[in-house]
Amino acid sequence: MSFEIQSKDVDVEAIMRGIRERIDEKRKGLYSDDEIREIADHRLDAVLDAHEFNPDFIKDFRSQEARWNFIFGKDTVYESSRGTVGTILQTIRGVLKPVQKLFWNPNPMIAALSRQSDLNDYYVHLLHNLALEVTKLNLEVQELRNRSLELQGRLDFQVRREKTLEQMVVYRDDAPDGRPAE
Amino acid sequence: MVQRYGLDIAGGAEYHCRLVAEHLSRHAQVEVFTTCALDYVTWANHFPEGTETLNGLPVHRFRVKRPRDTVRFARASREVFGARRGEREELAWLEEEGPFSPRLVREVERRRAEFDRWIFFSYRYYTTYHGLRAAADRALLVPTAEDDGVYDLEIFRPLFKAPRAIVWNSVEEKAMIEAATGCAGVPGDVVGVGSALPERLDPAAFRASSGLEGPFVLYVGRIDENKGCRELFGHFRRYREETGSQLRLALVGKAVLPIPADPGIVHLGFLPDAGKWNALAACEALMMPSRYESLSMVTLEAWWAERPVLANAKCAVLRGQCQRSNAGLYYSSYDEFRESLALLEADATLRATLGRNGRRYFDTHYAWDVVERKYLALLDEPTKGSVA
Repeated sequence: MSFEIQSKDVDVEAIMRGIRERIDEKRKGLYSDDEIREIADHRLDAVLDAHEFNPDFIKDFRSQEARWNFIFGKDTVYESSRGTVGTILQTIRGVLKPVQKLFWNPNPMIAALSRQSDLNDYYVHLLHNLALEVTKLNLEVQELRNRSLELQGRLDFQVRREKTLEQMVVYRDDAPDGRPAE
Repeated sequence: MVQRYGLDIAGGAEYHCRLVAEHLSRHAQVEVFTTCALDYVTWANHFPEGTETLNGLPVHRFRVKRPRDTVRFARASREVFGARRGEREELAWLEEEGPFSPRLVREVERRRAEFDRWIFFSYRYYTTYHGLRAAADRALLVPTAEDDGVYDLEIFRPLFKAPRAIVWNSVEEKAMIEAATGCAGVPGDVVGVGSALPERLDPAAFRASSGLEGPFVLYVGRIDENKGCRELFGHFRRYREETGSQLRLALVGKAVLPIPADPGIVHLGFLPDAGKWNALAACEALMMPSRYESLSMVTLEAWWAERPVLANAKCAVLRGQCQRSNAGLYYSSYDEFRESLALLEADATLRATLGRNGRRYFDTHYAWDVVERKYLALLDEPTKGSVA
């Protein structure tokens, strides 16, 4: 463990600062989970295909649920939006409910639509998490690609250096006294 | 007055209420008003209606008229926390949340003048909302509020301004609610709660009864996604995998979330009080992954047992408690979790120092004589000029 607490009287905030510094040092430019999440929320178009994804779709879904999802209760089919007339209409429909049930049974439909409303919620969460993971993978791939290129560059440089040094050793071996260079 | 009450109810606010009631009974005549519910999800009637005596206190129970319908409650929550939001919808949501016991509220109205003070626990329930309004001029409110946004509902703004005084659990809770509801003018104090402390700690007895060998960290409480346990499992398994640590995670409490089959994670089930205390004494550190806490009694208990805590930094209360006590580390990402836990695992001196700090913090702020003194001062708080 390279990070040690020296003092007997500890300062938790100082320890946490030390821990964060150590994490920054280890990470060396890689994104943290929180940063990735933030990027996924605000710059989705930068890493996913903008033609296929609206960058604000998650925010929209979250803030205006009533616009994209529906709320379906056992009385929804009998409701009316026509103010006072609607209230009367709704009462009449309520009274006639037993009669219309002679012709068909609305319960399976009500249950299915209610369940579908819940499922819509789950799908949005699933979609959000999926987009987040794809974004995270994209960023990681980009970062790894950059690091790979950087390492390749360093390797090429080392290979060239090695060859130069080998050539120097051979050249000194050819020296008149026959001793290799030190 | 509290939503549930019983010797076997381990819920934070309910246990908090019972401890306070039992301790205040040394200074005053105390009676408890509650529902017949045991289960906090459905509020189904479990206890018989009427009065019984628990630990010397009369407990008056009233039936819940309608148990919670989880589908209707979910729908009402979607409406209230989504686009549609008005007082009517919020009150409908409160009724769906429950425990819907109009008889209990009527009893408070009927008997409000019989008692000098009414103390209401947990602001967010139907019983507290309507009960407190019925006896506001004699009421103390113990909100036990978490940072879950519920306090932002419009109906709660006047509620927080109504009581004679507010008993806060932490400075973070106070700041959060005052900012949201504008109740800064209401008298109050940060009090929290003490704990039922054991005569002695016996870590060897815990080792013998559990069969647990080697170092372990401990989680105590309901094993639930809402308590941050899923994230804790993920972080802990990844920690063991990445570091090769042999540390194990012992879980004490009822599981409502599937526990991963992993040799590093051991579920010990529900333990009696003595077992819990001995487990605290035997562990290396307590894990507190919950994001929503208004106090966390088990964190304070770990500190009394001189054990450090590793807490979720996203919970402002836990982070603040760790900083003020200098007795716990905290994490807001896996990287911080890994580094903090590695540090605690490797450094016994640090664990001991944090533990000692925790004990000092507990004795200074959460010893019963301190808590009782603060309660008594608030109970004597003079009547406000105007009552909402």
